[in-house]
Amino acid sequence: MAAVTAWLFEPVPRARVARFRTLVYLFVAADLVVFTPWVRHHGQVPADFYRPLLLGRLLHLPTPTPLLVDTVFWLLLVAACAAATGRAPRALGWTVFVLYSEWMVVAMSYGKVDHDRFALLVALAALPTAGPARHRDTTLTQRGGWALRVTQLAAVAVYFLSAWAKLRFGGLDWLTGATLNWALLRRGTALGQLLTEAPGLLVAAQFGILTFELLSPLVFVVPRRWRYLPVGFFYAFHLSVFATVTISFIPQQIALASFLPLERLALPRRSDPRPPLAGGGVADSVGAARQGTRGGAAR
Amino acid sequence: MTTGVYADQLGPPGRRLRVVATLTGGALLLAGTIAGTDDDFPFGPFRVYASANKLDAPVADTRIEGVDTAGQRLTLTEAETGIRRAEIEGQSDRFTAAPARLSTVATAYERRNPDAAPLTAIVVVVRWHEVRDGRPTGQYHDETRAVWQR
Repeated sequence: MAAVTAWLFEPVPRARVARFRTLVYLFVAADLVVFTPWVRHHGQVPADFYRPLLLGRLLHLPTPTPLLVDTVFWLLLVAACAAATGRAPRALGWTVFVLYSEWMVVAMSYGKVDHDRFALLVALAALPTAGPARHRDTTLTQRGGWALRVTQLAAVAVYFLSAWAKLRFGGLDWLTGATLNWALLRRGTALGQLLTEAPGLLVAAQFGILTFELLSPLVFVVPRRWRYLPVGFFYAFHLSVFATVTISFIPQQIALASFLPLERLALPRRSDPRPPLAGGGVADSVGAARQGTRGGAAR
Repeated sequence: MTTGVYADQLGPPGRRLRVVATLTGGALLLAGTIAGTDDDFPFGPFRVYASANKLDAPVADTRIEGVDTAGQRLTLTEAETGIRRAEIEGQSDRFTAAPARLSTVATAYERRNPDAAPLTAIVVVVRWHEVRDGRPTGQYHDETRAVWQR
């Protein structure tokens, strides 16, 4: 039990939290404008089309109108850009979480629910609790460690429970069925259309997908030296899905970045670096943190 | 392990709260996967492409067609109406039960295209692509699911 909680709260450098935070909030802003611009169009869709999700009914959320949708859009855009700076992580973080949740109800209440953003929502719920963090601060944080850990858990749960859903809805027939064929015929790229010529390969791919999804939790137990291998595999999987059926699962890919040592990315040098945030009663945090940077880079 | 200064150590209350939140979220997600539906978003089952399709079963491809006052026939995609194809498919039982509801698609089109000629008819068409041994034969037939006329 103690080992499990130690693992759940394994500290990470604040720089990793800060950079993940910036990535997530910049994605939210980009999601509004670039990745899912159709959500905004729901404001104009007649109310008869609105079939509110359980969440919307429980919270008595209003039926979307152009005014409501545009208000949420602009507030969320501003809040997400502000949160990406890392300032006021708690207040801005919760603001983004609440607004983005409402945005999701607007998105998913018209007859189609997407399954690509569970882990992103977990990241948005956890980041406000991760505490202040700056992009070059190597001080370790347990709060931030938990936020990244639950995002990782959510991302892996998505794969594992997708396998479960396949067994629940498709049964074992899913393995030998024509699901990939169907997907490729409906929305395949040139590469994807080519693959429909090889149904045997598609059945093999279905075995491969279910196996990978069931085994995905192993990412948490592989030896440290190989720990980025499964993460690389997850990204490669999304790349091949995108190349064949143009489904990017980009929110899931953003959440997967919680596995990466983002603090090792070189940032442009600043002429006048601000000192890292004081923490944990450390007297000479500047010098200690600088040493930490060297240690981190050398290991 | 990572070198660096240690800060932000969580006390027992902070840990307890986070353990409870982790377990609650996990339990809700598990329950949603076992017994939930899409309605339980975000805790519903991740059922994208989870259904099994038979290798010889025809593949359905839904489209919405509109006819405007000039007699022109056009395919209504998300760009024209703000409604995604999958959303029409997700509500298709409502349209077959009451085709008059399709007038809302015309309203959505006219709101997004105020200068275009108004629509006089909307048709939901499913194109069934024939498949043999998992390969498309190139043959298809169109099935009209619902028709609305002004």
